[in-house]
Amino acid sequence: MMHRPVAFALAALLTAASAHAQRPSLQPAPEQLPEPRPPAGEPAPTAAPVTFGSIDLGFRGTTTSGDAAEYERYRDLRSGSWSRLTFDKRTDMYLFGARAYNIGYRDQRFGADYRGGKGWLYGSFDSIPLNYSDLTSTPWIEQTPGQLTLDTAARQLVQAGAVVGIPQNAAQLNTPSIYRSIANPFRLESLRQTGAFSGAYEFSRNLTFDGGFLSAARKGHQPWGASFAFNVANEVALPVDSRTNDANAGLEWTRPRGMFRVGWNGSWYDDHINELVWDNAFRATDTNPFDPSGYSNGNGPARGRMAVPPSNMLNSVNAFAMYKLQPRTVVNGTVAFTRMSQNDPLIPWTINPVIQTPAVFAAFPNLAMLPRATAEAKVDGLNAVLNFTTRPNRFWGITARYRYNNHDNKTPLFDGTQYVRFDAVPEATGGFTEQFDIVENLGDLNVHFNVLPYTTLRVGYGFDSFDRTGRSFSNMTDHTIRTSIDTIGNQWVTIRAIYEFTDRKGSGFSEDAIEDGGSQPGLRFYDEADRSRNRGTLLFVVTPKETMDVTFSLAAGSDSYGGPGHEFGLLDNDNQAYNVGLNFYPSEVVSFGANYGRDHFVSDQKSRNANPPPDPQFMDPTRDWMLKNTENVNNFALYADLPKLARKTSARVTYDFSDSDNAFVHSGPRILSLAAAGQFIPLPNVTNSWHRLGTDVQYFFVPRVGVGVDYWYERFNVRDFDTIDVPGQPGTPRIDYLGEISTGYGNRPYRGHTVFARLLYLF
Amino acid sequence: MLIRLTAPQIATVVAAMMVIAQHSSAYAQALKPVAVHAAQSPSAGQGTAPPAANQYVGESTCITCHDQKYTGTAHGLKSNERTPAANMGCESCHGPGKAHVDGGGDPSLIVNFRTMRPQEASTYCVTCHDRGTHALWTGSQHDQRNVGCITCHSVHDPKGDHQLKAASEMQLCATCHRNVVNKQFRAHHMPVREGSLACSSCHNPHGSQNVRLLKVGTTIDESCTSCHAEKRGPFLWEHAPVANACVTCHDPHGSNNERLLVAKRPFLCQRCHVTSRHPPTVYEGFLLNNSTNANKIVGRSCTVCHQQIHGSNAPSGQFFLR
Repeated sequence: MMHRPVAFALAALLTAASAHAQRPSLQPAPEQLPEPRPPAGEPAPTAAPVTFGSIDLGFRGTTTSGDAAEYERYRDLRSGSWSRLTFDKRTDMYLFGARAYNIGYRDQRFGADYRGGKGWLYGSFDSIPLNYSDLTSTPWIEQTPGQLTLDTAARQLVQAGAVVGIPQNAAQLNTPSIYRSIANPFRLESLRQTGAFSGAYEFSRNLTFDGGFLSAARKGHQPWGASFAFNVANEVALPVDSRTNDANAGLEWTRPRGMFRVGWNGSWYDDHINELVWDNAFRATDTNPFDPSGYSNGNGPARGRMAVPPSNMLNSVNAFAMYKLQPRTVVNGTVAFTRMSQNDPLIPWTINPVIQTPAVFAAFPNLAMLPRATAEAKVDGLNAVLNFTTRPNRFWGITARYRYNNHDNKTPLFDGTQYVRFDAVPEATGGFTEQFDIVENLGDLNVHFNVLPYTTLRVGYGFDSFDRTGRSFSNMTDHTIRTSIDTIGNQWVTIRAIYEFTDRKGSGFSEDAIEDGGSQPGLRFYDEADRSRNRGTLLFVVTPKETMDVTFSLAAGSDSYGGPGHEFGLLDNDNQAYNVGLNFYPSEVVSFGANYGRDHFVSDQKSRNANPPPDPQFMDPTRDWMLKNTENVNNFALYADLPKLARKTSARVTYDFSDSDNAFVHSGPRILSLAAAGQFIPLPNVTNSWHRLGTDVQYFFVPRVGVGVDYWYERFNVRDFDTIDVPGQPGTPRIDYLGEISTGYGNRPYRGHTVFARLLYLF
Repeated sequence: MLIRLTAPQIATVVAAMMVIAQHSSAYAQALKPVAVHAAQSPSAGQGTAPPAANQYVGESTCITCHDQKYTGTAHGLKSNERTPAANMGCESCHGPGKAHVDGGGDPSLIVNFRTMRPQEASTYCVTCHDRGTHALWTGSQHDQRNVGCITCHSVHDPKGDHQLKAASEMQLCATCHRNVVNKQFRAHHMPVREGSLACSSCHNPHGSQNVRLLKVGTTIDESCTSCHAEKRGPFLWEHAPVANACVTCHDPHGSNNERLLVAKRPFLCQRCHVTSRHPPTVYEGFLLNNSTNANKIVGRSCTVCHQQIHGSNAPSGQFFLR
């Protein structure tokens, strides 16, 4: 029981009014070079009052060890020039701004925007590289886009057993693959370039038109699996050449009491490379006649063909309306009709000529021709949302929301009962395509009470119901109850807390749907299984003085899966995260802060390692095994901002750190039996640590002209059992490991240093 | 867009604007009692009468004591008839100032957003900002949690684009969503910390017709595939969890697992594929070092064969092998 003086003190604490507790941390933006700024207290440049900008030019030098591409990732940090240009003109009639960053490099960006009179315009060009790895290599050669070939002589030697091609056992690992010797090193990367413009025009105070167009091209390569059998897996560099064009337009009519809007969105994805054809590293000729076990022993075709993502389109029309009622009540709603479709030509059942013969067609007549020539794939969507909000007085209010979403797959069924596995073996174990229709009904009702000045208590209930086809449950419904409390606007403390409990129950369960796929009858898919979920977050900000704030946040969640008959699959999933942060800005010449966060994740899953029925193994619980995955992540961030380090000099320092320790622990009777047979070795933890240091020093000779020196340092260490190095050459990827030829792509350590020297001009 | 004026620059701008205003016919126009939406009351547009014209004192009176710091922003555009600058200036938002002036600057006699509950303050903003991307603000997730316009935005003293109170969206959102922002520092992440994307690239914090405040589309998948259009399909052979939601397998905010997966392969796939033979095989160190089954552990793991995991358009693609 709270004593009266404490209660009064608490009430006083909660009623004082100030916005200071809401101040966000002022740490510098990460991974971006600080903009030019004259030191604090120095005379400002005498620029024209409404025109200003900066010219920031210089040079950059980068050295790396390890995987330089991973250091760069989404950036281009090659040694060379550096540029950042900004221009702004601000009048009381228009605003204009223009930007250019890193001109001529793969991460260059340009933008311009104009706002004035009755409208605004915005245009941009954005280039985002994705640098996978500098350490990759591949024996395949890209003859034409989408066709990858291997050295014929090498393949013949492998097929003859004269050399190791794809290591098939531990002994063969001691001999380098012939493909390692002919592999060409290359940088695995791709580039996404996006040009966009958008704008709006107000015909009148009440009528606005807005629209835009965006075109994004993606070119390069990405790692891609392209295999022929259980023991013949390939990772190749898939060529990528695609373009997405998006357009949108809307017309909005607004009055003081409400508004109405109609809009349209269109999107067209065009993949210029429709299929991938690649040579088999295990065979130079087709196995003839085909081997019914070819999918598991490698006796397959000389080449493979797969369909890469098809060109597609999306069109959506939508309408939105809002109306304001008395008193303080708003009703709004939207409805959208969407159609997604693609009609790419279908590739044949197989590229293997041994299977495309009358003899095979006699046994597998469906393989003689395709049921149809094109995909004819189509999904229609309908989405409707209705919101109701009323705040009749200062003490309470209600918010209600209803959402309906229908994902209706209208693709005609395709008979794939007879198909060709891995281009190697014709089989009759397939089936018809599945149409996963989803109808969602979501309802949410929340009531808030302003129990004290600046404190709001909210309670709510929600349901989220999914009706599905093609899944094991025809319906699943989440019921959620929640409560939250928010205390803000207080000079000293801000508290935000929320707790939610969700109970999910499925109905219309079909064990046949589970067993038809060959699954254990006790399996439940975790995206539809019965589940109890608890989630909560707490944010606590203390501002003991105007120049300082301390933040503590805690988030926790617990998912527990289990319903009638649920035995296998994901069983539970827990997470906790807490952060402690401090920001201190005692004067205009210094500010600093730090934040530490720790995340903890745990999940448990259960499975059974067995042969299919009628083998009694399938129902034998001694074949069960469990996996516990535990990950701990630490984050630490530190910054210091010294706008007046010395006369005419400012400085900034940032340091970020993140590490992870990810453990995979098997247990259960199957593990015990494997261990007893000497056939179980626990997997080592996957660990990584990442450090980044950034420093910036700027010296202004005069208010307009200065120089800047910046230093970036990054170090990434990683130990991951799924990346294999050449024996005796740590850090050099091994592309020829058991059962596969890969590119060597994976998480690898690096260390990078980048130095910038800049000339700064402000106007 | 960016407003980066130092204090002396602002003073120069204000002084210049004062001179312009005093000699401009627009100054006289600004004193006319235009029926603007803002500052009359939170229920503006719902039948309440506007204040009398003689209750307004004019912006030049306000700036005798206060820095007028919205020049150079969208609010300061006189060319747009909907802005405060084209209407009653400071009093467009802060209400008629005569009582405040007569009261010797009594802060209780003027609309003072610092002392308001965020929800209440937001009702002033939405009298104008009630369209476009802001149309669904009232009743949205942030609004319900008493996160108001002034929680994130500052009309007079912004630090970043869109009049945000922080230099970047990531810094601002981290105020409340620190555990989410921390994921950006993991080994696999979207290019937000590099500056190529921002939180608002995917989310509309002002309200959305989609779930999770996603700004594009009507489902999670439609949002993700607005950029990752190669996964939009529809495909001949669909993968059930993909049709459900991308977040079944991926954590878009960041992960230490490859491809932003919520768990490492093959264990992620083994959460659902409990069949017979190779899917539920125990993938551990012995297989890793001694068997071709190592190709299910290293590198791409399951997707080295089942590459078309998001859906296949190949007739023989039922198991996503082609």
